[in-house]
Parts: sequence; C-alpha cells; structure tokens
Amino acid sequence: MTDETTPMTDGGTDEEARTDGGPPATVPPDDETPTWSERKERSQGLAQLTYQYFERSRREDEDLRAESTYVERDVLGFPTWPHETIRNLAITSFFLGIILLVASILPSHFGDPANPGSTPAIILPDWYLYWSFGLLKLSPINPELAVLGGNIIVSNELYGLIAHGAIFGVITLVPFLNKGNARRPVEEPGWAALGVTGVILAITLAALAIQNFFPVPLELLFSLTFMLPIAGGVITYAVLKTMREGYMYDLNRRYYMLRPPK
Amino acid sequence: MSLKKQDDMDHNAWLKSQDLTAIETAFLTTLIWLDKRLRIVDYLELLETMYYRANLQMPKSHTEQYDLDNKFWYWYPLYSLGSLSIIAYLLAAVSGAMLGFYYAPSTAGAAAQGDPTAAYDSMVMIMQDVQFGFMLRSIHRWAAQFMVAAVFLHMLRVYFTGAYKEPREVNWILGVVLIALTLLFGFSGYVLPWKQLSFWAAQIGVELALATPIVGEWAAQLLFGGFTLGQATLVRMYILHVFVLPFVVTALIAIHVGIVWVQGIAEPH
Ligand code: HEM
Repeated sequence: MTDETTPMTDGGTDEEARTDGGPPATVPPDDETPTWSERKERSQGLAQLTYQYFERSRREDEDLRAESTYVERDVLGFPTWPHETIRNLAITSFFLGIILLVASILPSHFGDPANPGSTPAIILPDWYLYWSFGLLKLSPINPELAVLGGNIIVSNELYGLIAHGAIFGVITLVPFLNKGNARRPVEEPGWAALGVTGVILAITLAALAIQNFFPVPLELLFSLTFMLPIAGGVITYAVLKTMREGYMYDLNRRYYMLRPPK
Repeated sequence: MSLKKQDDMDHNAWLKSQDLTAIETAFLTTLIWLDKRLRIVDYLELLETMYYRANLQMPKSHTEQYDLDNKFWYWYPLYSLGSLSIIAYLLAAVSGAMLGFYYAPSTAGAAAQGDPTAAYDSMVMIMQDVQFGFMLRSIHRWAAQFMVAAVFLHMLRVYFTGAYKEPREVNWILGVVLIALTLLFGFSGYVLPWKQLSFWAAQIGVELALATPIVGEWAAQLLFGGFTLGQATLVRMYILHVFVLPFVVTALIAIHVGIVWVQGIAEPH
C-alpha cells in the first residue's frame, strides 16, 4: 500500500522513526477519512439497515411530536436546592442511622470454626436465602415414575434447582405476559393475586427451610406451604374484585372531570 | 512599544474596582485562576444550555394532567426503595473495604479437623483486637441485609405498581439479574469467615452444582474450585465477593439507573 520512497504527508519518512518491520508509521491524511454521509452511502448489509431504521424512526418521532396534543407547561417543579437535596439527605441519613443503630444493638453472631468432619444439626444460610433453602426441601413432591419401579427421575437436588429455574423464569417473563397500561392492583386483580401468592410462598418456603424450629408437624407445615399462598391469592382476588367498582368509579369520575367525553 | 504581554481582559483590575467582601474576592480569584487554566466557563455554558433545554418546557406529566398527586405522594416512600438499595450497597462497600484490610482468605493453620483457620482467626482478630472491628463487621453485615431487604421490596413495588410494562421490560430483566447477583453477593460473603455454617452452606452449593446435568462438574470447578471444599473454594468466593461482583453489580446498577433516567419513572394511572 505505502510506497517506501514516497514522502508522507507528515513530512516524509524518517528512516529512524520506523516501526519494526512494517511500513513507515504514518497517519492517514485527513481528506481520506470518510465523512458521515459517505460512510452511510458506502455502508451495506446490517450497517445500512441500521442507518435506514434510524432515519425512519427519527421521522416517525418528528411526525408524532408534530401531531401531539401534549400540554406543555413552564418550569414548575420541586427545586433541587434546597428542597430536593434536603429531602434526600433526610431520607439517606435516616436510613443510614437505622442501619447503624441496628448494627450496634444487634451485633452479629459468630459460630464455631469449619469442621468438614462433623455436619451440624442445622445448616442455614442468611434469612434472605431461606426461601431458596426451602425449595431444596421439596423432595416429598418429587414425582416418582411407576415405569421406573417407583424411582424418581431427577435427583432431589436437581429437582430443587429446577424449581429455582422455574421461579426465576416466570419472574423474568412477567413483562411479556402482562401487557397493557394498567398500573393499579385493582385494575388487574388476577395479577395482584399472583403477586400476593408469590410473596406468601416465599415466606412459607422460608418456614419450610427452618422446619426444625417450627412447632408444627412436618406434614402439616408442608401442606401449609402451598395452601397458605393459594388462600392468600384467593382472598386478594376476592377483596380487589369487591373494591374494584367503587375504586374505578372514583378514578373514572376524576378522569372524565378532566377530560369530558366529546 | 512594550514587549510585555497585554491582557485583553484585565480581570484583576476589574476585581479591584468592585466592592467585594473577602469571601467574594477569594471565590472570584480562585474561579479566575482555575478558568485561565481549565476554561471552566465553556463547561458552565454547556451545562447551562443543557439545563435550559431540559427544563424550560416540559410536557405535563400524567400525574399533573389527571391530578393524581395525592395518590402518588401517598405511595412515595415505596419509590425510594431503589435508592435505599444503593445507599445500603455503598455502606456495605465502604465497610467491606475496611474489613478487607484485616481479613485473610486462607484455610491455613488448622492442625486438626475443626481447628480455626487463618480466615477464621482473622475474623476473630477483627472482632476482638481491631478498634471498632466488632462494630465494623456488624455494620457490614447489617448493611448487606438491609440491601437485600430493600431490593426485595423494591421488586415488589415495581410489580404491584405495574412499572415493569412496556417500555421497561429491559429494566425488569436487568433487575432480575441484579437480585440474583445480590443474593450471590450475600452467599459468597457468608462463606468467607469459614465457620461451620459457612462451610456447610458452601457444601450445599457444591452439591447443587454437581447435581446439574451436563455443566455441573464444570460449574463446581469454576465456582468452588473443585468437588471438595478447601483453600481453592475460599479464594474463589473471596475473589467473587471483593473483585468480580463489586464491578459487575456496580456497572449493572449504573445501567439500571441510567435507563430509569432516560425512561422516567412509571407513573401510576
Ligand atoms: C441491586 C438492586 C437494585 C437497585 C440498586 C435498583 C435501583 C433502582 C432505582 C434507584 C430505581 C428508580 C426508581 C425507584 O427507586 O423505585 C429503579 C427502578 C426500577 N427497577 Fe430497580 N433496582 C434494583 C433491583 C431491581 C429488581 C430486582 C427489579 C425487578 C426485578 C428492578 C426493576 C426495576 C424497574 C422495572 C424500575 C423502573 C420502575 C419505574 O419506572 O417506576 N430493579 N431501580
């Protein structure tokens, strides 16, 4: 590409300023750098598609803005200083204060050193992983297959892992399953009920994890682990359904006062 | 003609001609000194332009348009849970960095099974010998617990206010990753003191990893440094807890909050 004897734009090639082996180290002159529109024209394939899409989307944006009926308003807000700053400082110091207070009145427990040779009677993680630990104690409902002579298909550990995967999977999928623009639980009693079921399940699973401390027979605890969440969900659904009419009436009234029907 | 360099703008003379208090003079002198070297004015101008672009005219928000203020402010405390997670995270980071001066991630020193290891001893040292060490550890643990609690509750707030719907799906998924990493943070930290519960919690971790089909053994090697627990496990948990996770989680939180900034908070309907 580069002729070794041709002087370069930066004033010629100094033999001593060469890099090892390669052609002389020079910077391409400025007029060789493609401009933005040149790049766009030269681009092909995915890059071109990207440019095309960007242009479309910018046009769409402009159109939408042109026909928008948004109400504009002058600057009218909560001032950053001092109002917002003081409020944030207050919330932050209150929260930090509570942590420090709790840390000083409830110092952490410290146990015996690790001993690979003796399994403790009770193995427990911190409280926030109890639900996960509870999922590992689901062996009583690990299905047995008659064809396999009553053997389980997956080990109890794997069964627990699959339960974790299922829970995280469902949570991840929530935005793709529940669409629309409802924001309030009353508007979607079913989803609110599902949420309450999940919260109670997390709590009952935590209780299942610390079953040794629970003054309830294991079998009953196990049933409650699943019955309580369902009961909670049903009650939530019923309550929200009942509340709904009055609530929606209120909302609608406010809405139509501001936007009278044409 | 003098060769002496002339100031086009003699700021100092201007300064003298003003009738200023000592504070004002000091402030302006510093500002002029810095501006001559760093062109602060340019940046201020940029900031100002941006400020007015962003603030002069704003579309009336949904809350304003439908007069939902009362409902919104009533629920406001729940909207601070994300920020509280960050505050607790920062407190845990600071106290954790200080614990790091004294903690030693080593299982050396146990003559027989069940003897204290170097890691365990360093924790005992922190709690008994280091000034405020007991408090420091306590703060670190409680900050971690408050963070997890705040993250859980934040997720519930997002769920029950339907704030995850279009266009905020990406942030919801990022949130799921963040909560998983937060729990992993807690788990890896729990192993570090190498006490009985640490060891056996890690044991359950290894067993779970090994129970996974196909990638199980590989995962056990990667996370726990082998199939039986030992020095390798401790060091891996340590690196995870003090190096990998802090960077990853901090970056993800920055992206998460950045997206909230760009998209705005989902307002209640
Ligand atoms: C390390 C953990 C997390 C941190 C530090 C964090 C931080 C934040 C902050 C500061 C906000 C602004 C609004 C608010 O504070 O409520 C926010 C919003 C949001 N977060 Fe998180 N978050 C975390 C975990 C999660 C989790 C676990 C989820 C859900 C799975 C989630 C989903 C969302 C969504 C969808 C928004 C937008 C909400 C809206 O626009 O109203 N985040 N997050």
